[in-house]
Amino acid sequence: MASIIKTEDLTKVYNGRVKALDKLNIEIEKGEIYGLLGPNGAGKTTTINLLVTRIYPTSGTAIVNGFDIRKNSLDIRRTIGVVPQDLTTDEDLTGIENLKLVSRFYDVPQAEAEERINRLISMVNLDDAKDRLVRQYSGGMRKRLELIAGLVNDPEILFLDEPTLGLDVTTRNHMWQYVKEIQEKLDVTIILTSHYLEEVDALSDRISIIDHGKVMATGTSEELKSNLRGDVIQVTVKSENDVEKVMAFPESVDSKLTEPNTVRLKVSNSDEELPKLISYINANSIQITKLSVQKPSLDDVFLEITGKDIRKEDPADYRQVMFNMRRLRR
Amino acid sequence: MSGLGPLTSRELKKWYRNPISLFTGLIQPLFWLVLFGSAFSKISDFGPAILDGAPNYITYILGGVLTIIGLFTALFSGVNLIFDRRLGVLGRFLIAPIRRSSIVFAKIFSSSFRILINAAILIAAALIIPNGLKFVHGFTVLDALILVTAVILTSLIFSSIFTTIAVRITRPDTIFGIINLVNLPLLFVSYAMFPPDLMAGWLSDMAKYNPVSWSAETIRTVIINGSLSASQAYHVSVWLGGLAALAAFLLTLTYFVSEKEIRE
Ligand SMILES: Nc1ncnc2c1ncn2[C@@H]1O[C@H](COP(=O)(O)OP(=O)(O)OP(=O)(O)O)[C@@H](O)[C@H]1O
Ligand SMILES: [Mg+2]
Repeated sequence: MASIIKTEDLTKVYNGRVKALDKLNIEIEKGEIYGLLGPNGAGKTTTINLLVTRIYPTSGTAIVNGFDIRKNSLDIRRTIGVVPQDLTTDEDLTGIENLKLVSRFYDVPQAEAEERINRLISMVNLDDAKDRLVRQYSGGMRKRLELIAGLVNDPEILFLDEPTLGLDVTTRNHMWQYVKEIQEKLDVTIILTSHYLEEVDALSDRISIIDHGKVMATGTSEELKSNLRGDVIQVTVKSENDVEKVMAFPESVDSKLTEPNTVRLKVSNSDEELPKLISYINANSIQITKLSVQKPSLDDVFLEITGKDIRKEDPADYRQVMFNMRRLRR
Repeated sequence: MSGLGPLTSRELKKWYRNPISLFTGLIQPLFWLVLFGSAFSKISDFGPAILDGAPNYITYILGGVLTIIGLFTALFSGVNLIFDRRLGVLGRFLIAPIRRSSIVFAKIFSSSFRILINAAILIAAALIIPNGLKFVHGFTVLDALILVTAVILTSLIFSSIFTTIAVRITRPDTIFGIINLVNLPLLFVSYAMFPPDLMAGWLSDMAKYNPVSWSAETIRTVIINGSLSASQAYHVSVWLGGLAALAAFLLTLTYFVSEKEIRE
């Protein structure tokens, strides 16, 4: 498969001081959903803004759809759709007026634009609100409008920067379905950044974890997890005497007593090691009350790579921060 | 320059949909006329010679007020650019495949359009009020064209200056400060309100180089005289030529600055 986006030592320094991106190199293939995952301030938005030619690189470059972001920004902008992290629709216009305005930027023929806009509006259930001023929209409605504003020009590449930030769980799930649908039906390449691990995990074919403006790891969700080397088997035993025996299980890479009677065994592959463990338990007549297997989650990968626990950043708080920020900007 | 059409119509839509800005925009020209017309009406006691032959002060001052209306609207033409930046809308324009200058030119052209509407209302009002505008020597189509050209050129000159300033400004108070700094000097160091003979010598000397004077004098000349004498025609063409040259230079500058420098 040919790569549709390739960055070459892409670097962005803001105001000569803040190094937001430090020689970033990623390659994205045509037709895939590519997830950019990273903690706050990692440089996700900066990467997107550079690729969509909203800002100019300090050094390095990127090729998007065959065009250089330093030289052919207009050609790039014509073939991409963007859903930025912050809100960009005009509050003084109605939803449909906003979409029509965007469609005119791309010279979409009027009849075609109208047809497409109506279809997109129905897709995100904004039919009843389309003729209301955007000022009167709720946060979630506004976010949905932003999403379809990025699709009005029928793009080849779609950039989604935190598309579900601040949405309720139901709407988020709708959004996910919708993103998958777009990719399957419209044959678009999608670049997605997200704060939600489940989101990147559920949607992306491949993922790059970035931190401090650098790529820390790239691969499919499976690859990233298998790099962690090992699943976890938790064994809870009936009597304390058996703890020692369980911890002595020869096939485990690592073992830890987490609770008085619970042992956490790290094994390279639980599918293979579990039967062995069961025979070992029988052979040593260990009495167990509970046995559970845990495959590593992307959370663990993230924690291992960035040293930060993304789960600690409470989404609810984060959402509040975002909304406050918008207010301050106003 | 794709983007110019949709962005200009967006600007105008927002303007005519806002009842208060529409109302104040329409009522403001009347304020100017009535207030200045009454405050300085005693000037006509100096006799018609001092008013360049105008039958009354309103007729004399109309060229000035038309210019000032244009000037003051144009000074604010960059403000919406700063608000677009603040509200995030500019981000949407910057990722669209449109020339970046079209974002700025949309502001310039929409403010020129608004100025023309205000000018038309002002002239209509001046004709209606008692002892108002009188075309003693007639008013030809050519006169009308000259008048409109002067108003448009003035508004292009000042809106290109002030939108260009706004290209990199992120705070509205910055531009308000600049507007406050220059508006009165531009107004009073010009022939917009007073005949040169009533001004201090040094002021009058400086006012000669103010494009506000060129526009005011141009409009005044056609309103008062109707068909122009050779020397009047000469003066008018020098003033209009100056305005056109300045407007062309500033619009070109605006084009290059906005293409290169505009950002969020
Ligand atoms: N316009 C700007 N001027 C100065 N510094 C900036 C600017 N935009 C971003 N930065 C800095 O660059 C770094 C990367 O920011 P960026 O917005 O790309 O992060 P992010 O990964 O998108 O974070 P988040 O998850 O919070 O959206 C941060 O340290 C940020 O403070
Ligand atoms: Mg971001």
